[in-house]
This record gives sequence, C-alpha cells and structure tokens, in this order.
Amino acid sequence: MLFRQAGIFHTDYAADRAMFPIPLDRWMVGVLLALGLAAPWVFSSLALTSYVMPWLIWAAAALGLNLILGWAGQFHFGYAAIMGIGAYTAVHGVRAGIPWEIAVVLGGLMATVVGIVFAFAALRVKGLYLALSTLALQFVMDWVISHVPAISGGVSATLQAPTLRLLGQQVTSEAGLYYVALGWCLFVTVFMLNLRRTALGRALVAVREKDFAAAVIGVQSFYYKLVAFATSSFIGGVSGAILVFTFYHAVTPEQFSVNVSIELLAMVIVGGLASIIGSYFGAAFILLLPGQINQLVAWTAKLMGADIGVETLAHIPQMVYGALIIGVLLVEPMGLGKLYANVRNYLLVWPFGYARK
Amino acid sequence: MDLTYLLELSVNGALAGLMYSLVAMGIVLIYKSSSVPNLAQGSLVMLGAYIVLAFSNGLGAPMWMAIPLAMAFMFFAGMGIERLALRRLAGRPIVMILMMTLGLDIFLRAGAMTIWGGSGRPMRIGISDDPLFLGPLLLNRAYVVGAAVTLVLFAVFVLFFRTRRGVVLRAISDDYMASWSVGISVERGVALSWALASVVATTAGVLWGSIQSVDQSLSTLLLKGITVGVLGGLDSLGGAILAGILLGVLESVASGYLDKLLGGGSRDLVVAAVLILTIMIRPHGLFGRHDIERI
Amino acid sequence: MTATPTQVPDEAGDEVLTLNNVEVIYDRIALAIKGVSVQVPRGGMIALLGANGAGKSTMLKAVSGLLAAERGLVTRGEVCFMGEDIGGLAPQRRVKMGIVQVLEGRRVFEHLTPDENLVAASAIHGSRHDMARNRDMVYTYFPRLRERRAAAAGYLSGGEQQMLAIGRALMTQPKLLMLDEPSLGLAPFLVAEIFDIVRRINREEGLSVLLVEQNAVAALEVVSHGYLMDNGRIVMHDSAEAMKKNPDIQQFYLGGAEGRNFHDIKHYSRRKRWLS
Repeated sequence: MLFRQAGIFHTDYAADRAMFPIPLDRWMVGVLLALGLAAPWVFSSLALTSYVMPWLIWAAAALGLNLILGWAGQFHFGYAAIMGIGAYTAVHGVRAGIPWEIAVVLGGLMATVVGIVFAFAALRVKGLYLALSTLALQFVMDWVISHVPAISGGVSATLQAPTLRLLGQQVTSEAGLYYVALGWCLFVTVFMLNLRRTALGRALVAVREKDFAAAVIGVQSFYYKLVAFATSSFIGGVSGAILVFTFYHAVTPEQFSVNVSIELLAMVIVGGLASIIGSYFGAAFILLLPGQINQLVAWTAKLMGADIGVETLAHIPQMVYGALIIGVLLVEPMGLGKLYANVRNYLLVWPFGYARK
Repeated sequence: MDLTYLLELSVNGALAGLMYSLVAMGIVLIYKSSSVPNLAQGSLVMLGAYIVLAFSNGLGAPMWMAIPLAMAFMFFAGMGIERLALRRLAGRPIVMILMMTLGLDIFLRAGAMTIWGGSGRPMRIGISDDPLFLGPLLLNRAYVVGAAVTLVLFAVFVLFFRTRRGVVLRAISDDYMASWSVGISVERGVALSWALASVVATTAGVLWGSIQSVDQSLSTLLLKGITVGVLGGLDSLGGAILAGILLGVLESVASGYLDKLLGGGSRDLVVAAVLILTIMIRPHGLFGRHDIERI
Repeated sequence: MTATPTQVPDEAGDEVLTLNNVEVIYDRIALAIKGVSVQVPRGGMIALLGANGAGKSTMLKAVSGLLAAERGLVTRGEVCFMGEDIGGLAPQRRVKMGIVQVLEGRRVFEHLTPDENLVAASAIHGSRHDMARNRDMVYTYFPRLRERRAAAAGYLSGGEQQMLAIGRALMTQPKLLMLDEPSLGLAPFLVAEIFDIVRRINREEGLSVLLVEQNAVAALEVVSHGYLMDNGRIVMHDSAEAMKKNPDIQQFYLGGAEGRNFHDIKHYSRRKRWLS
C-alpha cells in the first residue's frame, strides 16, 4: 500500500542501482535525516545527551560488528576490546598533542592492527572455536589494558579525555558533540549501505556462506577475512574513541570489558544479522529498553504501594536485558530487522498478499 | 624448599582442576548430545548453589536433604530450559544458539541477584577448614572432597553411558536423523542431557559454594569450565577430567610464580592463554573427535 | 505402451502402506512430489525406481515422518499404514507402529560398535529378552556383523555398514521395511548379496519391503512390482517382469540413455497430468 513498487520503471542503470528505489523509503530516510539534524532542538538536553547520542554511537559500533558477523560471517566476541584500543590510543594521542582528527584516525588504525591479530584466529578456525578464541582474546586484552600502566595509567585508574577540538575549534556544547556523533554514525551507515552493492560486500557474503566454496570460484577467503576484520576493527576503534570523547569524557578499562562485547553482540543479533536498520533497532533495544522497563517497574511498584528494595531494582534492567535476548531469539531468530522486513514486504504488496509467491 | 612449594602448588592445583572438570562435564554432556556449547553452565552452577540454600536456609531442610531436593529441582529446570529456550533454535546458525545461552546466562545471573541479592552467602556442608597433611604437603580439605566427588561422578557417567539409555544418548550425539529413523526420541534425549548437566552443575555449585561462598561470581567458573572442555575435547568426558587436572596444575603453578612478577590477577590470563593456544594448535582438544573442527 | 498397469494389487485392505495423492512441499516453497499414489501389499516387496531428485527419498520420508526434520510438509493427500492415517504422527510413533526407514548413505552410529548400534535401535522400554532375540536374528541374517561386533561401526566396510543399517532397522521389529538406495557405492556382488538377504527376510519374516533404488537392474530382480518416479510424479507402475522388458526402462536404466530424460517422452508427461 505504502511501499508501492508499481510505476517505478528503471530506465537507466543509475536508477536501477539506486539505493532506495521506492519513493516511500526515500521519504522516510529524508524525514529521519531531518529529525537527526534537528535533534538538538527537538529533544530535551537530557534525552539528547543520555539517549540519542549514545544510541547513535553504539549503532555505529554495532554496524561495525555486523560487518564482520553479519556480512563476513566471522565471529567476534571481543569487539569491545577493539573499541577500547581505539579509545585509549586516541586519548593518549590527543594528550600527547596530536590534533584530534588525526588522533581518532590513529585510534582506528591501532584498532585495525589489533583486529588483525583477531583475524589470525579466524584464519585457523571457524564457528564455535572462533567465538571462544576471540572471547579469550578479549580477556587477554582486558588484562593488558588494565595491567599496563602506560595504557590505563595503572589498575583501576581513570584517564580524563581532553576536550574535543575539531579543526582547531573547541567543541564542548551538547549540540556540537551530538553532531560529531551523528556525523560518524552517518558515515558508517552510508559506508555499509554501499558495501552491499560493491564487489567487496559480495565477496564477504560469499566467504560467509562457504569459505572454501568461495575460494573455488576465485574469492580469496584468506584476503577477504583479513579485510573484513581490518575494516570492522577500524570502525570499532573510531567508534570507541568518539564514544569516549563525546559521551564518557573519561576512559576506564571497565567501559570496554567482556560484558560490553556481549552487549554489542546482543545488539547485532537482536537487531538482525546483516541488517543495517536492524543495528539501529538492536542498539536502541539493548541500550534503552531495559532502563525504560525498570522505570516502569519502579513506577508500578510505587503505584501499587509495593516496596521493592533498591538492590532488587538495580538488577532488574540486567534481567530484562537477558529476557529480551531470549525473547527476540524465540520470536524471530533473524532479529528485529527481519521483523521490519516482514512488515515492509507485507505492505509492499498489500492488499494482494498472494502476489508475493 | 622450592620443590615442596612447586609440588604443593601442583597437587592443590590438580585437585582444584578436578573441580573445574565438574563444570566442564556439564558442558560436555550437553555438547555431546546436541552440539550446543552451553555458555550458561556457569550460571547453572550458581543457580544450583542458590537453590540448595533456598531449600536449606529458606525451608529449613537439613543439608543432606536440601542437596538431593535441589538436584531434583535442577533436573527439571534443565529440562525446562531445553524445552522452552533451546529446542526452538535447533538447526539455526550456531551464533544464535551461542547468543541464546549467553542470554540465559545474563538472565539467570541477574535473576539470582534480583531474588537473593549480591552479597555472598556461606554454604556449610560440614567440611572442616583444617588443612590436610600429606607428608610435607599442605592440602585443602575442601578440594580433596571436591576432587573425590568429581571422580565418583565421572565413574557414574562412564557406567551410565554403557547402559541402554546411555547408548541411546551416544547414538543421538552421533546422528540425529539416523536416531529418528529407528524411533529414538531425540528431543527427549537432549532434554535428558540438559537435566543431567544441571544436576552436575548443582554438585559443582555446592562444592564451589562451600569453598568461596555463594554469590554471582560462581558463574564466572564458566571460563574455566569451557577452557577445560575445549582442552579435553568438547565431546569427551575423560578428556574433561584430564584437562581439568592439567589446567589446574598449570594455573596454580603459573600464577604461583607469575603473580609476583605481574602483580596479581594472572590466573585468568593463564586460563585465557590456554584456551587460545588449545584452539590455535589443536581445536578438537586432547581427546575430541577430529571431525568437529570441519564445518 | 506399457503405461497401463498389467496387474495392480487392487484387493482393498490388503495393503500395508497406501499413499493417496500425496503432495510434499519443502520450506513452504519447493514442491518435491505431487499426486503420488503408491501401494505396498502385505508381505510384498516393491521397488520404487527413479533418477536423482525424482522425489523417491522425499516419499519415503513422508512415510517415516522424517520430513519435518528437513522442513518438509505433506500438504495434500494421505499416508495410510494398515488402514490408519499416520499423517500427523511423530517418527517415534511410526516406528512403534512398525514402519522403519533405512536412510540413504547408511548413516550407522559411527562411534558405537555394531552391538551398541543394535541396542540403541531397540525400544528403550522393551524387554531384554526381546532385544537379545532380535539381535540374534540380525546376526543370523548378517553373520559378518557378528564377527565384527566389537569394532567401531565407522571402521566397517561400506557393505558391512549397509548390513548394519538394515540390521539396526530390524531391531525395531518392523512390519514395513523401507530401504533408501541400499546399493549406493557398493560392489555389484555385495549388492546382490544384500538384496538376497533382504528377499529372504521378506519371505521368512513376512516383512513388507519398499525398496528405493536407482540401480533398476538389481532391484527388478528381487521385487514383484515396481513404480517409476520422475520429477515428483509416479509415471509407471507395473510388474517387475514387464518393467524389465519395457523399452523405455531399458533405454534409461539398462544403458543407452544419452542426454534425454522422461520429459521428452510425450505419453508419460500426458499420463501424469491426468492422474494428478
């Protein structure tokens, strides 16, 4: 009904390859983009800095993880460590006097280097064993970050992040920080949207489906696995750096511990493997929903006059988070992105549902 | 003197390692029957310990009664988890199954914290704190008991897998389709393996709970359990026993010497390193089937 | 020419297995077989022939209930065993009723010994006495297995594994034995030996047998009737003798089919259209 495909004629190759051939999709993207740009005026200061901005950055990170997990099909249970490497490198870089932009890119590059270490595990094993070895690498990275004083500044130390200076201008206002986050998120999204249409993206999918079958048709799975790990690590490293500069303003090892890796994984899987809009859904779902539900529980308890202990209340979001993962996997293992696609596919041919097959 | 220290570290390490094997045995039982790597085994250990406490402290049952009751409870809880959460995902990509067990882990851990709070509770099963002397060596009595229980359970499982029902479970782990074709109820077999793994987890929870105390850190035994499981081969019970001893000795000795150099916390590092090295060098572990690394 | 059956066993009620106009769809999309009707007489031995992908295995799985494991579904028609509709039953129930399928490619429990393979297949609540008796029967028919009863089944030769797979199926005390390509990858003399044993079991134990084969020559030697399947449809049903003489069968199965298939032969295509 809404997503009408009738009347869309591709008269040249450019139109045929358009990113959003359906007008409503274009409209929706436009509205979302406008909303994103107008966010500092639309949302309250609290909502902007504690919900919208972190959501965008986590969505960018989830997209980076989705690149390796959803597109290339390689497990990565240590993505938080990669983000941490990027964050620490960038912070140290800026503290050493390197311009902010270059320091952030350096953070990304350092994350890429470490990410390639993870990639070597992927060249040796697959599936469960890759998952476990990357998980173990996360533990090793955690240990290294917190135990090497040159990186973390000592066990359980907090490293203050310097002020963000973009092109020499100090960015300290909420809106300014938000736009930095938005810019990075948009950049990653556009990159991922285009990845689907490139030879690289297709090669990654081929490697995911069957790496030796891909090798037989001339796709070097070895090379593409490396590229996938490197690219995704770069995205992760920069996301980690931006997260620290715009949101945390200080960096500690716990911000990038193994639990965060699992949280990111949950975002990708709950959102949907190889789904871009799914990564946004997943990030929102995992990041924001448990807190909201907790507030709901506290509010209901107050209303009912029941007395829930502070400690109990503190653990409910975590429980909700676990339950959300289980629930989404039971309802639709392909995630929220797939649910969205189902609705869209349904509307695409509505009311002629039988036309689908 | 140094040699005695080394020997003491190794023997106590081996005993503790056997108790890691107990965690690993649960993982192996489930992996053997359904190829599901259960990352929630650590939480099951924790849950088992809490349930024992719930029966003993909450309902006032004596320990000798609370433990079997908790085992029975966990038997059905394990079955329920398989039925409600895992069965729907059969045949799905492994990443979703891993995520499901991780979700279960998070849910159980947070659930336990919500219900029982975060502070540790003691588990008294009547093992005295006095050390045991073996010549010049100082042994931890609780570890000795734990190791003995592990070996007994291992023997029980070895015998169980020779019975008719045990043979059926092994058949299921070999080939689902062929099992169905001759009328074996695969679903029931997998549920049984979850139930048994939960019972083993309860045992581990009691033993570890009596050593440290019952709190959510029991669930972090997962890392050691999975490392032992992988090192021994995820489908080999005997491998889990041997790998447990190996990892225990290695961890105890290495951290005994490394902690001074690196300033503490090197235990987890040793475990993680063993896990990585095992996977890089011999992914199917010491006794695992070779074919499991091909996908 | 011989498209019309010469002697179809039409006596109602004497069939162990009746498939009536069965249609199977995989994954809710892929149509695998359509309008298949097959009958296996009590105590009879019937062959189902056809090329790769004709739908033979699908049909067997529709009977044994293993379709669900491969996301397949019987969407139309009925499968009756001893006059009872078994459409919705789980595979275990069907095995209990007396239907057993020997899977294609043998699929023995590789890490179990032949002895344990047989134990695994016997009903878990059945008596030990029954189990021992069935096992002795299997070892009588397949003496080779007795010699190797303690080795891991994965190390048996292909022929021995096939024997074990059949023996394992016999442990369930079936009334209908369905064999999916037992000749796959075996030397001709072994195929002959195994088929002979199956024939003997069929006669001595009164077991009905449905034999699915690509090796039409060997299969037609031991069965009384045959069905021919192509592209998900039954396109021929006749006595074994008549099928052997049929020029088309000769052309496609007994050598000399070069680059043609059954679609090219008009009367088959037409026949299947008005049958289904």
